[in-house]
Amino acid sequence: MGTQLFTFGAAFLGSAVESVEALTIVLAVGLTRGWRAPLYGTVAALVSLAVLVVVFGQLIVQRVPESSLKLIIGTLLLLFGLRWLHKAVLRSAGVVAMHDEDHAYQQTVSQLQGAVERRDWVGFVIAFKGVFLEGTEVVFIVVAVGGTSKYFPEAVAGGLLAMLVVAVIGVVVRKPLARVPENTLKYAVGIILTSLGTFWAAEGMGASWPFDFVSIFFLVAVFLSASQLAVMLVRRSPVLA
Amino acid sequence: MSFLKSAALQVIGLFVADWVQTAVIVAILAAAWYAIAGLHALPLPVLVGLVLLLAAQHVWFAVAEARREGRSRQSPSPSPS
Repeated sequence: MGTQLFTFGAAFLGSAVESVEALTIVLAVGLTRGWRAPLYGTVAALVSLAVLVVVFGQLIVQRVPESSLKLIIGTLLLLFGLRWLHKAVLRSAGVVAMHDEDHAYQQTVSQLQGAVERRDWVGFVIAFKGVFLEGTEVVFIVVAVGGTSKYFPEAVAGGLLAMLVVAVIGVVVRKPLARVPENTLKYAVGIILTSLGTFWAAEGMGASWPFDFVSIFFLVAVFLSASQLAVMLVRRSPVLA
Repeated sequence: MSFLKSAALQVIGLFVADWVQTAVIVAILAAAWYAIAGLHALPLPVLVGLVLLLAAQHVWFAVAEARREGRSRQSPSPSPS
């Protein structure tokens, strides 16, 4: 039960963060140039992502042996999670500016202002690109979190629910979700994905963790402590003082 | 074509921000794999070493990038005229 909840939660949180970023782009296009083109772009991107999941997901799960799959996905998940965690540490320490959905929204709006043609290819392509690229991250998180454990349906449910919740909130408020604590969420998800990646990569090597899945909580504690240490050291760094 | 190229670069960027750090992480994983599968070492010490090395490289590269950022802020390169 704990493992199922953990898988669902990791997929939900990771997908929610990426869905917020995709929503910002679609809202910026829709409110600036009309809704038809960005909605077509969004649907086209979602269909492309679904095709990718079905084709590659089936191929990977059926053809790649379980231990190799765990090692490959674990390594990729570790790289992915550490990249998020690295950015989150630099943001927490004040080295890099916090990700600001309002700023991202205004930037996209200023790029899009201008005459809109009857068939708005610019609006279509920007919405497609935004949803497809952010969606690729959602797909990776869901496949990596669910594919290597026995709880793929829970991971898919977490990812889909996150997308649905963000989409519904976006339709209701019709502005970027700037109040979502995106950086804190990315920090937390970065730690969870790094821990899961380490866990599966080691299992793929043929090692068994003491206390099995419970050791993930130990990994979370280690990476949380390490990242807090990094934030402290960066803040104390004389170059930045 | 440029769309596909930028999409490919962004997909690679999901996993790689700093190639040196990526190489270090892969080297740590490869060493652990060799110790477990090749040398048949006891898994627990290898797992402890793996986790500690991954945590240490995370701290090291975060501090190193912060220092680089700090230095570049202190001495901004002259803009091309």
